Amino acid sequence: MNKQDLSGLIMADPRYSEACRSCMNCGVCTAICPASGYYDYDPRVIVNLVRESDEETLTDMLSSDLIWYCGQCMSCKPRCPRGNIPGALIQILRAVSINTGLFVHSALGRQQLAIKRSIGHNILETGYCVHPTRVDPETHPEQGPVWAWMSNNADQVYGRFDKGYDKAGPGLLRKISPEALGDLDRIFEVTGCKKLWNTIETESEKHI
Amino acid sequence: MKKYWKDYQKDIAEDNYFYVRSCIRQNFFPGAENLFIDILRNKLGKVVFEDADHTTCTGIGYHTDIVPLETTMTVVARQFALMKEKGFKNLVVSCVTSFGLYSEILDLWKHQPELKKKIAGYLVEATGRIFDEPGNMVHASDILYKYRHEIAAIAKHKLVDKETGEPLKIVDHIGCHYAKTFPERGVGGSEFPQVLTGLINAWGGSTVDYPERRHCCGFGFRNYLVQANRGYSISQSKIKLESMQPYEPDLIVANCPGCAMFLDRWQYTLEETEGSVYGPNDRKIPVVTHEELAGLVLGYDPWEIGLQTHQVPVEEMLDKIGIEYDPDLKYADRQGNLIGNPEMINQQVC
Amino acid sequence: MLDGREYRITVIGAGPAGAAAAISAAAMSMEVDWYDKENRPGGKLNDYHQLFPDRATADQILADFDGRTDAIEIKKHFGTAVNRIETDNRQLILLSDNKIVGSADAVIVATGFDFFDARLKEEFGYGIYDHVITSPDLEKILKTNPEDLRKEGADPVSIAFVHCVGSRDQQAGINYCSRLCCITGIRQAIGIKELFPSCKVVNFYIDIRAFGSGYEELYREAQEKYKIQFIRGRVSEASENQQHRILLKAEDTLMARPLKLTVDWLVLLVGMVPSCTQVQIDNHQCTDQETGFYQPVNVFTGSRIAGLPGIFMAGACGGPMSIPEAIASGRSAAMEAWQYLKDR
Repeated sequence: MNKQDLSGLIMADPRYSEACRSCMNCGVCTAICPASGYYDYDPRVIVNLVRESDEETLTDMLSSDLIWYCGQCMSCKPRCPRGNIPGALIQILRAVSINTGLFVHSALGRQQLAIKRSIGHNILETGYCVHPTRVDPETHPEQGPVWAWMSNNADQVYGRFDKGYDKAGPGLLRKISPEALGDLDRIFEVTGCKKLWNTIETESEKHI
Repeated sequence: MKKYWKDYQKDIAEDNYFYVRSCIRQNFFPGAENLFIDILRNKLGKVVFEDADHTTCTGIGYHTDIVPLETTMTVVARQFALMKEKGFKNLVVSCVTSFGLYSEILDLWKHQPELKKKIAGYLVEATGRIFDEPGNMVHASDILYKYRHEIAAIAKHKLVDKETGEPLKIVDHIGCHYAKTFPERGVGGSEFPQVLTGLINAWGGSTVDYPERRHCCGFGFRNYLVQANRGYSISQSKIKLESMQPYEPDLIVANCPGCAMFLDRWQYTLEETEGSVYGPNDRKIPVVTHEELAGLVLGYDPWEIGLQTHQVPVEEMLDKIGIEYDPDLKYADRQGNLIGNPEMINQQVC
Repeated sequence: MLDGREYRITVIGAGPAGAAAAISAAAMSMEVDWYDKENRPGGKLNDYHQLFPDRATADQILADFDGRTDAIEIKKHFGTAVNRIETDNRQLILLSDNKIVGSADAVIVATGFDFFDARLKEEFGYGIYDHVITSPDLEKILKTNPEDLRKEGADPVSIAFVHCVGSRDQQAGINYCSRLCCITGIRQAIGIKELFPSCKVVNFYIDIRAFGSGYEELYREAQEKYKIQFIRGRVSEASENQQHRILLKAEDTLMARPLKLTVDWLVLLVGMVPSCTQVQIDNHQCTDQETGFYQPVNVFTGSRIAGLPGIFMAGACGGPMSIPEAIASGRSAAMEAWQYLKDR
């Protein structure tokens, strides 16, 4: 178990001073939070636990499912009378959880591996987060039969709207140039994303 | 001098737009963005530039916590650099998550200039590029809002039932990241945003206020992208659909591509799994994007603009307005030949 | 006249603070000119149904003031809004819409407060949904026509109160606590239950600030005798359904659970903000940059506005206060003014 200064790591995030100021426990965030209506989750409680700055509590929290429920809608932000942003605090907690390896101790945290390998790889390989050839109708039955038709006939369907589909030059779902992808790759390297991905991979592997 | 958010108007640039595309909108509404560009260029006479080297903003990666803050900021800085290189100052953003992200980053840089400097350093190191912040940064729906009266003046159709003359009842859904994060970045603020109600009212429709109007559609990023979590996503849309049902809406319009996609697809899934249907007369409610709504009133062909890619059928709504279409060309390519096996879809269409 | 000298004092505002100041000043033999923008004295007291904690009616206090002011000499100038004071040597010139209306040796500013404009908290739908009202709205209804609370002849089934509307709220631009809204909510909730005993009444609060004499006891009585439910959590959002009932979303923070509730009426307990008819004094910044209320020279030792000679403040124009506090503050300002005039 990590004995790092979790509180320090959390407070060092540039978003922290906006995300987590002081809480009067009014509950307007939880009242409006879609995740609190679906999961056993209370953003107000999260803000309070963080402000306690207790390393044991933080270690437990960052090792649990609790920080992985938030859907990032930010409905909390315009309502908080103290100007806190629980949704942004969650992003900070998740970042620290991943960087310290604590994320592998929760089932929802372990989903980061799948997301890294899908969305993450999509970004560096195509320049898009999502691509028709990478949203498999088999694993997305809820997308419906129209999507199945689109995905299975991507060249024709997308080509129907723009001859530039999957080609160089501007246009619908253009093929993003190797130069541009190279820019992204180097950005991901220089800014520490590749390091984060490495952490996700290696910590996940250790956990298996 | 009291100022109410719902009267709030923001500064929207007039012309010379640098347009950045949306991953989700391109994937799920492939006709929409070229339609938007066509409306701006050929109906409104605007300059719209699309740089072939722009990429995803990585917003979905950022909100699923696999792309850290500094990486996202540097990618966004790169977008700004491309804009600077091409001599543009007015950024128009297709995706609402992107729009929220750009807003957040500009705000962080305003309060922490040393962070901006750090990112500038990363961008030079990785790509050799330098950037300026945009002079104006708006969402694509803001442009249509700004020119809604000009569009109304040249419109071929109104959002009205052609038989009865009654305005269509239209639910407007605003993406959470449009105005909840920074109300001053949204026309009308975060509680009663006007960007889509402005379009609806200008084009003859009537707006519907229902209790869950402001509730998130439920995309929830990881709550959809990971299959195991999808219950969250469908439940939030269900809350909205149940709430709007008594108002019998004819149509839903959304400015966020994800929201439009979810409100469209989840109606299919809810019918398949529960047998529930939320539109009037036991039908599903068609969902369109802001540019599709504009395209419809301007008289574009529904299949040209991509309405066949929606899961909820649009034909009844088109009939109601009096927009003509050729049913045989729905799933056809430009030459009129059917693509793939669309009969499979037709069997499931209600 | 006093000691052979004339002491001319002007009191701006005829609410409880201004009335107390004018009465005290006259009792000290000062020559009093008394202004109010309305055509009658009493200020907001005229709209109040019952006061706390003893549930006296506001009319009783107004009658008391009338009795006292009739007995002494006060020159009344009602229907004139003094909005500017200019200093000219030791004279204070009073202007209304740029017209000079009088002069004085000393002035007591008692311009009072306005209620927070609840339309600024758009998430509650005030001004949009008919069945969302404010506490002053309810006060008027309770005083003049409680029947208005019935819907199509039926008693209301449920009514909810929201504490802290436009107070302690960065989003509303008001970070202070308005002090009196909690007890107002408790008293009005009791008032509703007395009218409609079977109506479910719920107060949504963050903290119950029941600091005054008899306040805490009234809170307990609201719970025990009147069975009013207090839920700790501020309402986040209100919307209207097709039956024009109001749907609320809140969190029961003591249970750590979100909740939804449908009610017939939603009452927003709005705080006090500085009056829009504040008085400008030369070009001085006399009000607090944050709150907009007048600032005394020193909260402990004196009520001269921002240290300006001869100009004093009384009542809620200096910050949210109760009627007894306003009355005491008016009397005290009159005493300070007299001291100032005697010494100069």
